Amino acid sequence: MKKIIFLLMLTTLFLSGCWDKRELNEISITMGIGIDELDDQFVVTAQAVVPSEVSVKGSTGGSPVTLFKGEGETIVEAVRQLSVITPRVIYPGHLRILVISESVAEKGLGDTLDFFERNWELRSDFYIVIARDMTAEEILSVTTAIESIPANKIFNTLNISDENWSASNVVTLDQLLGDIASLGKDAVISGIKITGDSEIGQNKENVTSVTPVARIQLNGLGVFKKDKLVGWLTEKESKGYKLITNQVKRTITILSCPSSGTISIELLREKAKIKAKVVNGTPEVEVSISSEANISEVTCQIDLTQKETIDKLEEIYSEELKEIVQGTIRTLQEDYSADILGFGNAIHRADPETWKELKRDWEQQFSSLQVNVKVDAKLRRIGTIVNSYQKTREE
Amino acid sequence: MFFKKKLKSYKLTHPSPSSSLPNNPKIQPENRLLKELKGNLGNIQHQLGNSSDIIIREIRIGKDESINAGIIYTDGLTDTTSLQQFIMKALMTDFSKAKEKEKLVPQQNLIELLKDMALAVGEIKNVTDFDTLYVSLLSGDTIFLVDGFDQGLIVGNKKWEERGVTEPTSQTVVRGPREGFSENLRINTALVRRKIKDPNLWMETKVIGTSTKTDVAIMYINGIVNEKIVKEVKERLDRIQIDGILESGNIEELIQDSTVSPFPTILNTERPDVVAAALLDGRIALIIDGTPFVLIVPALFVQFFQSPEDYYHRAYISSLIRLLRFFSYGIALLAPSLFIALTTFHLEMIPTALLINLAAQREGVPFPAFVEALIMEITFEILREAGARMPRSIGPTMSIVGAFVIGTAAVEAGMITSTIVIVVSITAISSFVSPSYDIAIAVRMLRFLMMGLAASFGLFGIALGLFSIVLHLCSLRSFGIPYMSPLAPFNLADQKDTFIRLPIWKMVTRPSLINQQNMIKQKATTKSTSIEKKS
Repeated sequence: MKKIIFLLMLTTLFLSGCWDKRELNEISITMGIGIDELDDQFVVTAQAVVPSEVSVKGSTGGSPVTLFKGEGETIVEAVRQLSVITPRVIYPGHLRILVISESVAEKGLGDTLDFFERNWELRSDFYIVIARDMTAEEILSVTTAIESIPANKIFNTLNISDENWSASNVVTLDQLLGDIASLGKDAVISGIKITGDSEIGQNKENVTSVTPVARIQLNGLGVFKKDKLVGWLTEKESKGYKLITNQVKRTITILSCPSSGTISIELLREKAKIKAKVVNGTPEVEVSISSEANISEVTCQIDLTQKETIDKLEEIYSEELKEIVQGTIRTLQEDYSADILGFGNAIHRADPETWKELKRDWEQQFSSLQVNVKVDAKLRRIGTIVNSYQKTREE
Repeated sequence: MFFKKKLKSYKLTHPSPSSSLPNNPKIQPENRLLKELKGNLGNIQHQLGNSSDIIIREIRIGKDESINAGIIYTDGLTDTTSLQQFIMKALMTDFSKAKEKEKLVPQQNLIELLKDMALAVGEIKNVTDFDTLYVSLLSGDTIFLVDGFDQGLIVGNKKWEERGVTEPTSQTVVRGPREGFSENLRINTALVRRKIKDPNLWMETKVIGTSTKTDVAIMYINGIVNEKIVKEVKERLDRIQIDGILESGNIEELIQDSTVSPFPTILNTERPDVVAAALLDGRIALIIDGTPFVLIVPALFVQFFQSPEDYYHRAYISSLIRLLRFFSYGIALLAPSLFIALTTFHLEMIPTALLINLAAQREGVPFPAFVEALIMEITFEILREAGARMPRSIGPTMSIVGAFVIGTAAVEAGMITSTIVIVVSITAISSFVSPSYDIAIAVRMLRFLMMGLAASFGLFGIALGLFSIVLHLCSLRSFGIPYMSPLAPFNLADQKDTFIRLPIWKMVTRPSLINQQNMIKQKATTKSTSIEKKS
């Protein structure tokens, strides 16, 4: 009897079968998805890899990726509608980039992102960008050199630029949803656009020529209020945003010399703190930034051997950083009244009671918030030469 | 539990197959030697079917050559030089001239006289029945019979052609003794004796097999060994009622604890140093005549991963290599199944670049990953078996065909992906890392089971399979010792020689559970630190 029960239990194991088994040649690996809208319908564009074209051997010179487009009232419907075109099942497990068109972002991301959060096939480590002044489909249609898969190229560009330039923002799905859900911090997403002729950019010539006709490039930061896109930050303001939120890994700041020429300073380490306090019921926020930087390029006639020069430069540099930061805060307060810096959260932490009062009309409160900025910058190294060789020659 | 039940039912339904064979009875009247020489010789000739290698020589000795005698021996098993020198010549030439010749009259106890005075051979004993006579005769001894006496003499002058002590082929080492056991029981026991010159090294010999009469020596160090286990081993050996033992594998199968398990619970080795080390740990060695493979009991799971070399190299590298062995064992068991599970169920776990690469390879390949892996694994098993069985001279041809067909042609023909070739190769190489062939065979079989589970349920199936294997391993015992000890039950002190090997000076005690007497292996500080401190 026991043996029969055991055998029966064993069969239940095999009844489950291989329901989610997928052979590698039954799926199309989708690395980029674009979302546009057309007459109240969602248009989903999937950028799927053509494996044989990407692999080292066996490439026939065809395009490494191919686009599939589906329409529907909801995202899911549009995705399922893709199956009328695709030869294989769309497999989004390795999604690298989600491109959302500006118009969709302006109407609000709430409805759009639900599917991506809910679907179990997706990892949540892909990046989200906003297609600026163009459709997501156009972005995904451009061919790229070196990184032959465009979705990969965008992913890598975001990473590299985040590390070396600090004017773009790397946002993953869970971060974005966290920001949208949070009252005390609004969301920020990098913008992306095509420079050049996007028509020719779709063709193979784009990657065969030395200078590509069309390039995909990152452009500014999109400021969100709740889940709606309200405006864009310039490059300088974007840097300010990164400085305040303590995200700068490396960035370049250019200072003008008293006479002529410039000094480029590379920021290497920064530590930013946002502290809030409530004085007599009115909240106040203090942003203190301490940073360490190197001098990386000098084209003016100054004597770097003197300690006074360095001290002076540090002072000017601090002022410059302060100006950048204040500019960003000003734009956010005056133009967008969107708290992407997380000041609301800082006040929440400092004084939860007051926050309960403030959060009701936080939008207005943010615009009139008193923000003090303190910057302390140190110059650590001046590189492998001391003075500019032009100066040395004059002496 | 399942396995145990099966085992029980097996035992119930299959009574010991050889229990009907008769035990060696007391000497029957017809079994006794006769007084007449003619009768005895005729009897022997008849019993042995006039076999051509049985040489019967009739001679005359004594005063006036008046006494008839017979010499019987097996050609090829007897040292004919000593036969002529010390028996024939002594009796026929030397002895007849001597004074003692006068004493040789039929009425006296000729047999005792000859035994004491004439035959200059070390090993000599009386025989009165045919059974003993046949065993001795067929073992290579010379039988000496005299007319008028119902007893004879067995003269021990066995000698036959045999392999000498050569380097073992199955467990090779870079550093360590190069000698290996051979087919001769005496040489083998001598090899162990030479390593352990301890009066407590005891040996007991049993004869097993009604036809083969194979000598089985039970060897252990008294005072270290757990006597309960010795008793158990003897009991199990006594229980064997079989006509023939041709190799230690026969004994192994007859005395092992669990009959239904892919894992070996008895260790075999060709190396005297391994046997010596096992004896010093309190284990028991079974040396079987006719095979260079000596059995060691009890054998635990981790023991199969311990190479003798571990103790000859420095502790650090030995420990790392031993970890590597366990790791390779895992690969040998799991590599193909993990590949199947990842590429068919858990694509998101593969790095993107690799996934695209794999997908590109799979373009145009007609079989699912599981079938592909199965084809390659079976092909490899065929190659491996062919490699082991075929004549040596065909070896190179074979490897060319194997490497070319599997490695290159199949991939180029688009029948399989090159990744699966890599996976199968790594699996194959890993399975050869374990120092014991028997433990590698276990994963060789279980690998296919795991592949099936992986193809049906993905990683869940693999987890399921591993879980069952661990459960099974924990249920095994080797002569009463839990097979997975010192891991389960856990024993902290014995971890010194499990996954890692601590330096020799740290290994103060012998493994517990194996021997419960005389646990101390060395005095706590044999390490010469005191000298360093002084200087």
